Amino acid sequence: MFICGYHFPASEGNDVAFDKVIEKVEEGAGDVEGKTVKLTGETQKGEVLVETEVPAGTFAHKAFIDFYNNADIEGETKMIYYTNKYQISEISKTVDGEATAELCKHLDDMNLYRVTVA
Amino acid sequence: MSELRQIAFYGKGGIGKSTTSQNTLAAMVHYYSQKILIVGCDPKADSTRLILHEKAQSTIMQLAAEAGTVEDLELEDVCKAGADEFNPDNTDITEGYIMCTESGGPEPGVGCAGRGVITAINFLEEEGAYDDELDFVSYDVLGDVVCGGFAMPIREGKAQEIYIVMSGEMMAMYAANNISKGILKYANTGGVRLAGLICNARMTDLEYDLAKQLAKALGTQMIHFVPRSNHVQRAELRRMTVVEFSPKSEQALEYKELARKIIANDLKVIPTPLEMDRLEDLLMEFGLEDDVEENAIGKKAEEA
Repeated sequence: MFICGYHFPASEGNDVAFDKVIEKVEEGAGDVEGKTVKLTGETQKGEVLVETEVPAGTFAHKAFIDFYNNADIEGETKMIYYTNKYQISEISKTVDGEATAELCKHLDDMNLYRVTVA
Repeated sequence: MSELRQIAFYGKGGIGKSTTSQNTLAAMVHYYSQKILIVGCDPKADSTRLILHEKAQSTIMQLAAEAGTVEDLELEDVCKAGADEFNPDNTDITEGYIMCTESGGPEPGVGCAGRGVITAINFLEEEGAYDDELDFVSYDVLGDVVCGGFAMPIREGKAQEIYIVMSGEMMAMYAANNISKGILKYANTGGVRLAGLICNARMTDLEYDLAKQLAKALGTQMIHFVPRSNHVQRAELRRMTVVEFSPKSEQALEYKELARKIIANDLKVIPTPLEMDRLEDLLMEFGLEDDVEENAIGKKAEEA
């Protein structure tokens, strides 16, 4: 199955442990020290409703850097697949709790998000 | 050369199966150079119109009726190459291509749609349509799960890998569960497997959670959440897929990601369908309302 874009072989079933996802994401993100992750959330019509910075040291911070580094999407600001933003939110709620609670509220909505890493 | 994979898209009528399947298959060709044969298995014959840029393709059953019998037909009569970049002779964008055919079926209210489907598939096989060059054969199957036509591609051991197109609403989930029951019935005799749910989103709250939990309960995965986008309708009005109409759009990238996953997917399971009560519990648990008391059943919003 596919979580955060990573393929987990069928032998691992349909309920892959978050630890395994986190391991892949950390590897994909590489060195995240000092990097700033900014997200914008916009409506289908392109009206920006949310501008937020992802707290450093959290899973979401690493996951968005990983996405930014590895997603096959052109541009300095990259749209985030809906599936990925929901999966990042789901894992964040479990591993980071309050630290990303506000962020997850945004990620769970129906808006399109874009990520910039500097 | 990779082994031919025979996949099928199922789902509730009106859920967007044909649109989702054509846009996804188009992305598999556009971005990943796959070679595909589409076998439309719905009497509506709308499984190939976006690929062909046509209103509706003449079906095998229509052409057979005109010619006398299906034996009077040649493969070239019923199998058309996709338009522009989907044509095998056009390699400007991709080496991949799509060949299109529609089984057709009887007049509404007369006969069995399933017979048309199986006649068409047998004809295509005998005439060599499933050639060695193909990567995928894709069946787009009518949504009515009580019709015999529904089961034909899986009952006859043709489609091996089923993707159910659904959304986070009751009837779509009910249909997904019913289709899973059909897959389960033929899983041991024909080898068919459930390969994932595709959430063609209506963009209701908690839709991802609902689709994911249903997938988990069925023993499968929610392989991709396809957001709603006006690009889909704009492209449809031009009888085009999104990847042709607007290849750099966010929606095209969503189909690209789904295409990538389908090509790499190896999670193919015998599903574990739910009892109706469990399905309703899921809706309560992950649906729009926290809980609905027994005494609220049948009450209007202003009475609640």
